[in-house]
Amino acid sequence: MKVFYVFLFLCISIFSCKNIEYSPNQIFDKNSYQDINASNLKRLGDGSRDDTVRFIITGDTQEWYDETVKFYKKVNSMPGIDFVIVAGDVTEFGTLKEMQWLAEKLDKLNAPYVAVIGNHDLTSRGRDAFQRMYGELNYSFIYGGIKFICHDTNSREYQFNGNVPNIPWLKQELQAEEGVSNYVAVSHVPPISDDFDEKLIKDYATAFDETPGFLMSFHAHTHTFDKFRLGNSNIPYVITSAMGKREFLLVEIINNKLSFEQISF
Amino acid sequence: MFFFLGTAKSSAQNLKFLIPDHAIGQYAGSIGYFSVGAGYEIFKNKRGYLDFNYGYVPASKGGELHALTAKLAYKPFEIKLSDWGKLYPFNPGFFLSYTFHEDLAFRYHSSEYPSGYYYWSPALRPHLSVSNEIEFSMANIWDGLGIKKIGLYTEFNTNDFYIVNYFQNTSSLSLSDVFQLGIGIRLKF
Repeated sequence: MKVFYVFLFLCISIFSCKNIEYSPNQIFDKNSYQDINASNLKRLGDGSRDDTVRFIITGDTQEWYDETVKFYKKVNSMPGIDFVIVAGDVTEFGTLKEMQWLAEKLDKLNAPYVAVIGNHDLTSRGRDAFQRMYGELNYSFIYGGIKFICHDTNSREYQFNGNVPNIPWLKQELQAEEGVSNYVAVSHVPPISDDFDEKLIKDYATAFDETPGFLMSFHAHTHTFDKFRLGNSNIPYVITSAMGKREFLLVEIINNKLSFEQISF
Repeated sequence: MFFFLGTAKSSAQNLKFLIPDHAIGQYAGSIGYFSVGAGYEIFKNKRGYLDFNYGYVPASKGGELHALTAKLAYKPFEIKLSDWGKLYPFNPGFFLSYTFHEDLAFRYHSSEYPSGYYYWSPALRPHLSVSNEIEFSMANIWDGLGIKKIGLYTEFNTNDFYIVNYFQNTSSLSLSDVFQLGIGIRLKF
């Protein structure tokens, strides 16, 4: 019996080496993912020969890991998906562990995926953990002649300091360039939310309005599907539902035309 | 004068209970890359631990962080292995950790967020723990060190964040996802 206990003691101690944690607030450990966005975009390529761009927008995965498992299974069963975008709130509490748990699930997606920063991901040391695991908070990529501009709109986390969203950066990214015929914006907080910097709504909308070929601005945060326009602008803003609601958007862009479909799983 | 000395002496005796019963060194366990501390054996049967630790996580290990921890644990089972040692196989406990870092406030400011927006404290974490400990009686091993007993322990802990996540995702998260390991030594005087 005594030998059994000593044996058990040793077993527990040895088998749990992967569970070594220095702090819930550490921003990486030796097993945590690094630069997911960059490596997945490299895998995605530029889609120069792809005339049907199909991608998925989901968001607010937060504490919904069970649903995320169902999500990747559903997405993997759908044909022709080029990539997946997670539009923010990849954690509830901004911790490394949550980010890691989610990334382990999303790693099972057949298509490459990228994540965009959400307000929950900016709590505690989430910002540093996110930057190391996923990459920059404002970034863009071009696929199939379409430029996807992923950016931080979580103004409240910056005390509405007037720099988030970063309008000069957006304008720079929206400038006409060779090989780009369309633009799509993706961010977490939509401009109709109280968490979006009120002072910047007009400039934000104008930046999109003045960009020829701008198709749509996608968001998450409210957990409820919505489609709206701002003022007399023609740009459609669309909110994907939430992972917890088991709904996402399937988006298709063919010949400069964007269409989307709400999918339940 | 004599009266004063007498009072000082008696109050020193009264304060004797403040002298810790053991010193602690711990690796990992969510309270530092390495932490050091001191603690007391509490309750009449001396089966309770009250420990205080200071932990440090260097930047190269995901910090830089400083943390203070207060731990409470109880050893309900004792197994005598032989003259030189005992095993405490299952010691449940509770502890609070406070992490010092510029991004970790005690609470979210009401001037920045509507009430209930974020309901948790970033810096203060409640944890649940389970540990096991092998205790070596030094009288039979190496007498004259000034250390009566040495305890080696492993401790698993989880916190409010991980528990919330676990109970909402019982099929995709396992207990081994949410429980984190620490290894430590207790030098008992």
